Amino acid sequence: MANTACFMIVSKNDIPIYEAEVGTVPKKEDAAHQHQFILHAALDIVQDMAWTTSAMFLKAIDRFNDLVVSVYIKVIHTRLMLLHDSRNDDGIKSFFQEVHELYIKTLLNPLYLPGSRITSSHFDTKVRALARKYL
Amino acid sequence: MADPANTKLGRMLLDEITPVVMVLRTPLVEESCRKNGLSLIEMLAPYSNFNNIDVPVRTASDQPYRLRKFKLRLFYDSEIRQPNIEAAKERLKQVITRAGDKDFSDQCSDPPDIESLVATSQQEFVPSWFQNFNKELVDAVSFSEHEAFDHPVACLVAVSSKDKDPIGKFVDLFNTNQLPSLLNDGAMDPKILKYFLLVHDNQDGELEKATGVLTAMRSTFGANDCRLLCINSSADGMEEHQENPWASYKNIASNSKQLGCFLNVDDIEELRNTMHDLSSKHIIPHMELKIRVLNQQVSATRKGFRNQIKNLWWRKGKDDAPENPNGPMYTFSSTESQIRVLGDYAFMLRDYELALSNYRLISTDYKLDKAWKHYAGVQEMMGLAYFMLDQSRKDAEYCMENAFTTYLKIGSSGGRNVTRCGIWWAEMLKARGQFKDAAGVYFRISGEEPLHSAVMLEQASYCFLSSTPTMLRKYGFHLVLSGDLYKKSDQIKHAIRTYRGALSVFKGTTWNHIRDHVHFHIGKWYAFLGMFDEAIKHILEVLACGHQSKATQELFLWDFFRIVQETGKTFEVFRLQLPVINFPSIKIVFEDHRTYASPSAAIVRESLWQSLEGDMIPSLSAMKTNWLDSKVLPKKYKESNVCVAGEAIKVDISFRNPLQIPVSISNVSLICKHSAEYDETESDAIGSLTECHNDKELRTISVSGDFSLDTSLFTLSEVDISMQGGETMLVQLTVTPKIEGTLKLVGVRWKLSASVIGICNFHSDIIRKKVAKGKRKLKQVKDNLQFLVIKSLPRLEGVVDDLPKTVYAGELRRLTLELRNPSKISVKNLKMRISHPRFLNIAAQEVMNSEFPTCLRKQENSSQSCTQMDAAKAANSVFVFPETTANSWETPLKWPLWFRAAAAGSISLYMTIYYEMEDASSVITYRTLRMHYNLEVLPSLEVSLQTSPCPSRLQEFLVRMDVVNRTSSESFLVHQLSCVGDQWELALLRPIDSAVSFELLMAGQAMSCFFKLKYGRRQGSTEEKISSLATSGRADVRLVDSDSGGLFDTSISPFDLFHHYERLHQERHEQGSDGVGIMGHGSTVDFILIFESQRESNAGLPSTTEVFSHHKCHCKIASNSPIWWLMDGPRTVRHDFSAAFCEINLSMTVYNSSEDVVSVRISTLDSTSAINSASVSGNEVGWHDTSHLSEIKVTSDVMGTRFGKALSPESVSPFIWSGSSSTRFNLEPLSSVVVPLQISVFSPGTFDLSNYSLHWNLVTSCDGGDDDEHGSRVSSGTCQGHSYHITVLQKE
Repeated sequence: MANTACFMIVSKNDIPIYEAEVGTVPKKEDAAHQHQFILHAALDIVQDMAWTTSAMFLKAIDRFNDLVVSVYIKVIHTRLMLLHDSRNDDGIKSFFQEVHELYIKTLLNPLYLPGSRITSSHFDTKVRALARKYL
Repeated sequence: MADPANTKLGRMLLDEITPVVMVLRTPLVEESCRKNGLSLIEMLAPYSNFNNIDVPVRTASDQPYRLRKFKLRLFYDSEIRQPNIEAAKERLKQVITRAGDKDFSDQCSDPPDIESLVATSQQEFVPSWFQNFNKELVDAVSFSEHEAFDHPVACLVAVSSKDKDPIGKFVDLFNTNQLPSLLNDGAMDPKILKYFLLVHDNQDGELEKATGVLTAMRSTFGANDCRLLCINSSADGMEEHQENPWASYKNIASNSKQLGCFLNVDDIEELRNTMHDLSSKHIIPHMELKIRVLNQQVSATRKGFRNQIKNLWWRKGKDDAPENPNGPMYTFSSTESQIRVLGDYAFMLRDYELALSNYRLISTDYKLDKAWKHYAGVQEMMGLAYFMLDQSRKDAEYCMENAFTTYLKIGSSGGRNVTRCGIWWAEMLKARGQFKDAAGVYFRISGEEPLHSAVMLEQASYCFLSSTPTMLRKYGFHLVLSGDLYKKSDQIKHAIRTYRGALSVFKGTTWNHIRDHVHFHIGKWYAFLGMFDEAIKHILEVLACGHQSKATQELFLWDFFRIVQETGKTFEVFRLQLPVINFPSIKIVFEDHRTYASPSAAIVRESLWQSLEGDMIPSLSAMKTNWLDSKVLPKKYKESNVCVAGEAIKVDISFRNPLQIPVSISNVSLICKHSAEYDETESDAIGSLTECHNDKELRTISVSGDFSLDTSLFTLSEVDISMQGGETMLVQLTVTPKIEGTLKLVGVRWKLSASVIGICNFHSDIIRKKVAKGKRKLKQVKDNLQFLVIKSLPRLEGVVDDLPKTVYAGELRRLTLELRNPSKISVKNLKMRISHPRFLNIAAQEVMNSEFPTCLRKQENSSQSCTQMDAAKAANSVFVFPETTANSWETPLKWPLWFRAAAAGSISLYMTIYYEMEDASSVITYRTLRMHYNLEVLPSLEVSLQTSPCPSRLQEFLVRMDVVNRTSSESFLVHQLSCVGDQWELALLRPIDSAVSFELLMAGQAMSCFFKLKYGRRQGSTEEKISSLATSGRADVRLVDSDSGGLFDTSISPFDLFHHYERLHQERHEQGSDGVGIMGHGSTVDFILIFESQRESNAGLPSTTEVFSHHKCHCKIASNSPIWWLMDGPRTVRHDFSAAFCEINLSMTVYNSSEDVVSVRISTLDSTSAINSASVSGNEVGWHDTSHLSEIKVTSDVMGTRFGKALSPESVSPFIWSGSSSTRFNLEPLSSVVVPLQISVFSPGTFDLSNYSLHWNLVTSCDGGDDDEHGSRVSSGTCQGHSYHITVLQKE
């Protein structure tokens, strides 16, 4: 499992709808905003890349020091973003696919308004479990 | 792309990579120059930059070309060495600090909108001082030993004409001992071009002496290399220069003296000529010559296949030589150095092809020699040469990257060169529009040193901004990174500048951590600089950070308070986010003609009160005309709310603490504006004043300001609260106007932790106003914060004493309504209405004095007033208090109320009291007091009563009462059962004895008992009713053995009062039951069960008895037919069947209980099957079933009876009815007739004589108007015969 990993789902209006620190290293106080900064800045790169490739999984599209950003772009332009320091590409890809599935299940919930924050605790535990499994 | 020379990098290179001239001078020369506020170099500098020198140059190739621009760099000998690192650092820091101070002054305005920023061209938003900074950085690595372009090409030796022995000075100056180390340690050729300049100060002496020295010089050093320079020709020193050429070269414009004030036009012309002569006649030809010479040498030694092989061979041999990358491996005479010099000279003379080929040649050598620094330097120059040639971008980039990585590889010694190389590389990329890559390069330059990194990151961020598509987020991120580094190196102003830039990107972002970080740091840094207003403005943005961790929240809050304390002032913050106000929940409660006894009454829906008050208050229109006629008031009155002076307006505001840490809020109060005038314009002025007041987001107030003034007009309540983390609190604030006029609720203010005052304005549209008056509400939605204050009025205060919160169902209590009128003005016309008369009702005032509950017991002297029922009826609509009570009371008016918990569940009781002012001059002529109580009623006893006709007697019924105690702990004593109605007599089926005594009914216990109910009007005489004990028609049965008290008189209030409402209530529930009307009182019966509970009170006090009553109304008496009949006759007959069959005489008594004449027909049926078929038909099924139920005697042996009936068909006519099979007769109302019947029995046995039926017909049903709706259905009917068993025995 990665030491540092920050997972985030960003809606198509660039609003974060879900975020979770899934690393093993205990969370530092200033890490939260740093991770947000890196992921936020990486959106610029994603924006560029999204129209040049048909792949959904864009691995290591941006980096900051030793932290790497990998992104999984959904069709509706929701982006699953992972900030990580490991090089386990296969694991990350599987992680993204599974979370994608989870996210679709959330979308199917008639009470969930697409683009709003995901507050389901079930989703949260599932994501964390997947992170433990794959990252 | 444009000409590379015109790009930024091109200009930079043309500036930087130019021939260096070493300047040697005597102190006297310097002194002369100082008169102008300039040093010698500074004086010469403007004239060593030639924009159009137009010199033909011929380098290695035969083709000459013309040089347009040219520049010489002048340095003193002391400066020609590698700059001290510390000094360079200091200088860089100065550049940044100065720029920071300069920039900061215009940074206080709001950051520009990011969209407009993108739209502007690149140059505008990139701070101009970056160029200076970059130049300083590049200069910091000048005069390195591995590069030749900083090596002096020529030496300018200047001696003043005042010097003694000028010739000797010239020689002395060029003494090798004092020359820079670069020339002495062999890195460069000490034999360089010398140019001798004799400086003559015209103020000091005559020109003749100088010319004499010049002649001597010419003879000594050669005619061409000497020159005389005359300066300071202007005597008065007031020479003005149109555009001062030195301004851009002299950084510190500190001395007030005009630069170059002693230099007149001639002097300047001479300066220009001197430098032109130096460059065009000496330096350029010298360099041309040197290039040609070196080129020949290089061609001879290195060009050609043979030389290359030889070179390679020789290099290979040197492989194992000890590595020393730092030492001067190559002296000026070595081939490598010469090639490098050749390349640099060619570069300086713009022969980039030649330069490139030489660089290429040398780079492989350096690589083989592993002289990495040299190699990197050459690669760098190759890249630049490629760029200047504008060809092969790939190669240029490759070379720059190669150089960059090589510099990085060699570590600290290449540190500075990395920066320079990076800057050039980035500039190169920028020149080609590859901003994104340039940003990457800048990012890579940013090394350990925070200050440099900060500047580089900032430049990187601007690159992101200029790239296409614009990368705003990257821009913001890098600005933040750079801001952090600026902060680390104490450049707070720069840090703020960068963060503000970032803020334009992050403004309004939903990435909450980012927003908090940026705002918090800007705020903190502003506080460092003492700009507290700005600081607080930014920190306020992050105060309501519920998503942050607790520690962060504490940090934010702590910093905020620290800043506020440092200001030493009390800040008023508009729309403080801590705590958060929940606007939709704000409620305003005020009292105009409606007053509320309790806060809970105020939250009850207005429509509920209106329906309650409906017919009590005068109609709105009538009232309106009244006061409009009597008083001329502005129209405004109609539109605004009315409140009374001296009475509080209450505002409920809910505050929520978004943080996890507790905060303390003090002095929460309303902000109000009061104006004494009704005038419209006046209030408008105040309104606008308030508006502009609040436009400022921050303001300091003097505590003794206008608020002390306001206290004379109205008083405000202040509340202090302390909120735990995440808590929501409802605060009630009041304002009490004291003087008539107009009062406007502006907002609410509070003090956070005794340091910051928060203000929040109300907006009319966001407040859901509690009270509105029907029609008016529509008109004045936007004006509901405005109140018209009228003069004080009496206001009644009312309370119902000891109304319990929780009671058991059925409990009866006497309560006291207490009304108080605190004012001097008296009121009149008191009326009251209660919403649930079933629960709460008015009692007679005498009840106040009697003792409860003993007054309810039956007394011997039955002198109870008979007006009780009238009171009950009155209370149904409106109870009018007697006029005598409606005065101004010193003592409160007390009025008794009866309370009975009628049904289990939660119940809300509403009471409204109407009163009018004695003083009719007031605007409001009447007021209402609204009272509201909630109580919970727990189930107590569950009672079910069942009546069935007594089979053996006419007009008698059996009553079964089942009682279950539904409480969990309470035990009850069943006291008595009363039957309402004067025609009934009630008795226990069996008299009470000790064995079946009804003791306390414990929780959960059930009990059944049986009563006999007799219809008492059989005698039909009305006079008997009067003499009977039950004067107003009650039959009571005592169920308690002990003589604990007399029976309760259920005919008096409150029993009959509540019975009345119970009846109404239960009647409503039993709609559709048949025969309610037709039988009159005969068809249903009402019971009242009274039970008691002994409540154990505290020791010492006697235990109190609580009385409960249960009313069961409309208990249907079994039969619905108007006729009663009873078969009478012997039960056992002995007969000798051997003699003859047995004839038994029976008689049937038929009684008509209805008010009409009934025609009855008795049909006897011999065939049992006929009975069955008859029983199936239509309507009578129900009756049949009922009669079945009636056969249930004490124990339910339904099956047994059925069995008997089933048997009867089997016996084939064991008896027959004698006489006519059908008898018809008419029955007068309330009369009875005895009909004889006879049967003939043929064999002994027991027979059921139920095979007959009675058909009845209402003869005069048509004119009975009261039951038209029933008429068709129940005007006739058929009743099956009751079972009557007769046993016939064989007589012995």
